[in-house]
Amino acid sequence: MLDRLPVIRRACDLDLLNFLSRHPRALLTIDQLAAFVGYEMRQVAQSIDAFIEAGLLERTQNANHAARMYRLLLDSYGDGGLKALLALSSTRQGRGEVLNLLRPREPSTTVEHIQRKGRLHAIA
Amino acid sequence: MAERDLVKTGITGLDNILSGGIPRGNVILVEGSIGVGKTTLGVEFVYRGASHFDEPGIIVLFEVSPEKVMRDALGFGWDLRALERERKLKIVFTTRDVLRQELQQADSVLLDEAARIGARRIFIDGVARLLGENGSYESRSAFHVLTEGLQRENLTAVLAVEAAAMSGNAVLSLPEESIADTVIRLRMEDSQRATIRSIEVVKSRGQDFQMGRHSLRIVNGSGIEVYRRVQAPRKASRDRAAAFDPTTRVPTGIPGLDAIVNGGYFIGSTTVVAGISGVGKSVMGLQYIAEGLRRGERSLMLSLDEQVPQIQRNAASIGIDLEAAVKSGLVHVEYEPPQEIQVDVHFHHIEELVEDLKPKRVLIDSLSTYGLSLGPGGRLFRDFFHALVALMKENQVAAVYNHENPEMLGMKSMMGDFGMSSLVDNIVLMNWIELGDAFRLGLTIAKMRANPVDRITHECEVVDGKGMRVLPRVLPSPRHSFSAYAGLISRSPERRFEGTEKGVVE
Repeated sequence: MLDRLPVIRRACDLDLLNFLSRHPRALLTIDQLAAFVGYEMRQVAQSIDAFIEAGLLERTQNANHAARMYRLLLDSYGDGGLKALLALSSTRQGRGEVLNLLRPREPSTTVEHIQRKGRLHAIA
Repeated sequence: MAERDLVKTGITGLDNILSGGIPRGNVILVEGSIGVGKTTLGVEFVYRGASHFDEPGIIVLFEVSPEKVMRDALGFGWDLRALERERKLKIVFTTRDVLRQELQQADSVLLDEAARIGARRIFIDGVARLLGENGSYESRSAFHVLTEGLQRENLTAVLAVEAAAMSGNAVLSLPEESIADTVIRLRMEDSQRATIRSIEVVKSRGQDFQMGRHSLRIVNGSGIEVYRRVQAPRKASRDRAAAFDPTTRVPTGIPGLDAIVNGGYFIGSTTVVAGISGVGKSVMGLQYIAEGLRRGERSLMLSLDEQVPQIQRNAASIGIDLEAAVKSGLVHVEYEPPQEIQVDVHFHHIEELVEDLKPKRVLIDSLSTYGLSLGPGGRLFRDFFHALVALMKENQVAAVYNHENPEMLGMKSMMGDFGMSSLVDNIVLMNWIELGDAFRLGLTIAKMRANPVDRITHECEVVDGKGMRVLPRVLPSPRHSFSAYAGLISRSPERRFEGTEKGVVE
């Protein structure tokens, strides 16, 4: 399934997509979005750009505003199993399985994991 | 004068208490504690606008995900996803910080989104913390900025604000209330061990509205239902209805009784039949309904005491086929369990029944059960009964109310704790009278407004398979008729002139 979904390459892609499917029209700043999904801003920005390029996401551009309107275009995006992937990863176990499959594709996973762990420690 | 542009909320019953709707462009503050229904009200306001009045809308959420709001809305039968596809609705998830900044910008992305679908309504869920510290200057000015932004777009806005201290009678006055055009307060109130929701329009600029706390229910499959409080004035015609037709009478269906009540009860009159359990009040009521059926008149029977199959069985025992009567459409029998009656909801239901069925006869069994539910000496019961009497008079219904008087022998008051006799036109007292070793049944017309009445205690009997009848004043031997006794309903009747009294045949 993942082979047919090149737009999902990393854990951040999956979690951001899940967030956006629950909030298909979100007016947020990039740092708020990063906080909601729990990744570095840089990673979230990369995922967003990839989604926009793939026609999966629409983003308003207005230099005067820090916030952007993000609109998920799930219905107009060629399915290719995307909805099935979202359904699968909506559970803890399903998400874990998909993340395991994504891990080999993601060279920076370890670094990212350490960074996230570090953030959690900082919060605690 | 130009007609007012009112925005109909479309919420069942709410527009009635708002005199038709809310002036367009008003900023409506909906306040209340958690779980009172603020989000449901706001979402329904936008949903009804988009689906019923061709007014697209925007829903702005901070904490709840749009996915959950859509899921919950579906439980009420509101397909928000379909409205989004039709470009009649947008649900925007954002943060309070962003919204605050947005509404201070002339080129707000949010309001631009609203304009793209021609939105006329907006619901923002949870503005409280958007406004910072309660009562502070910053709070008021942030709210002012928010309302200015909404007015610029001519949006009619519902803003939900959580007010934790607003349960029961405790009211926390919010600074936003003075800036908002309309303030609607939702409450959850404890009643015995039940919890009841209520809605109150505290203020609404540019319109008249019905004050006080009205009942509110959230009903699966349909949404919010608002029921005007029973005390609230209805229409002028109801207040004028007391001057009923002084000539048309409605026969009682009890052999021998019509002669005593001059041919029947007046149309539009209120009759109370009072007596202890078992004296035959329900039998009399069933005969009253059966008489209407015989005459081709529509009747409504409301029971709080017995369920419909039991009433049908009782009717069959006195030769009345109530099931067939119901099937004919001339008779409608309704049972409502008396536990946890919500008086506004219940009265609204009776109003609908009376206005739809247009019955000539109504039987309510029994008034005392209402008293037990609402408190017989309480204001609520009096207001309810008053509203009921006015409704029946307006609709020219001859209404009979059974009332269980707790006294077994004799009566020291006509309606016990129910101080309602001034509202009642006719009072029929039913008594057990102990004579020798038997209880005999007595019937006295204690009051009959605008009628000559003899106030004689007549003997009655209930015959299996036939029902009740009033016995003649002259009885065959060996029974002495009631006229042979004095003090029949004062608990110690005495024979007057044994063997010589008129009516006694030795």
